[in-house]
Amino acid sequence: MSKTDEQLTRKAKDAFDASVDSLDAATLSRLNRGRQAALAEAARPITQWLRWMPVTGIAAAVLMAVIMLRGPGDIDVISAPATDLEILLSEESIEMLEDLEFYSWLATQELDGAGDFG
Amino acid sequence: MTAGVAVFALSCSATPTGARTLQKEQQLDHFLAEVERRALRIAEIAVRDRDEALDLVQDAMIKLVRNYSGRGTDEWTPLFYRILQNGVRDWHRRQAVRNRVMVWFQKAKPDDNDYDVIAAAADPMGRSPDEELQNSEAMQDIELAVHELPSRQREAFMLRTFEGLDVAGTAVAMGCSEGSVKTHYSRAVHALRDKLGEHWQ
Repeated sequence: MSKTDEQLTRKAKDAFDASVDSLDAATLSRLNRGRQAALAEAARPITQWLRWMPVTGIAAAVLMAVIMLRGPGDIDVISAPATDLEILLSEESIEMLEDLEFYSWLATQELDGAGDFG
Repeated sequence: MTAGVAVFALSCSATPTGARTLQKEQQLDHFLAEVERRALRIAEIAVRDRDEALDLVQDAMIKLVRNYSGRGTDEWTPLFYRILQNGVRDWHRRQAVRNRVMVWFQKAKPDDNDYDVIAAAADPMGRSPDEELQNSEAMQDIELAVHELPSRQREAFMLRTFEGLDVAGTAVAMGCSEGSVKTHYSRAVHALRDKLGEHWQ
């Protein structure tokens, strides 16, 4: 750096330092309050569940990614309840439900009959 | 009951962990008190607004305490200024967006009647009005010239000249290489020399 550049930076630094020294009381008070607020943040303990929040967030994201990546290959997982629903809504099932007592009796008879003929 | 609380507090502060925490808080307090005024002026030169600069400095303090208080004390200065510079950059981005929006909704002019009695009080350093005026004018010149520099040159100049960081510390604060710091700083000084003219050399 040349001598003229050094002079320039020195004068700039002097002017800057003078402006720092002449900060008004209201501004210094606000700075002090800001510092105290920051230090209060340091003294505040982190709540336990907040400490685990990043971990649970990552776990949820990984789970979601796995579900999405496995895609339609595992469609039978959700098709099982749909099949049940289809059976329940079919006419035959309704008839079977209406004669549930008969079928129950028939089953016991078959079991008893098996015992008789065996 | 009160005595029990006092005994508990005493036993907590007597533990090595409690003592370490207290010592760390004292170190942080000392560091922030030492750096806050220069940081405010540096932020103020960058954004040209004292209230905004105060908010930026407080945010930087909170982030430093929350995220980096566990680091070594010698790392705090560049880390603090890195947080502050990031805040200033974000502020400029938000301002650019706001200005684009405000073209459509003309902002009302601020009220000029809010006279601040404390700000107008006599200089506590005991300087004469002439000295104060001279310093004030010099600072206005340099402040305007520095503000008009490209942002990276402005950062390099303020961190090196006003805060007194070395090249390595400035590189950490700016998030760039030491070579880039040297380049930005050199260009900043040349630009200021051209802008400020003969009476500044």
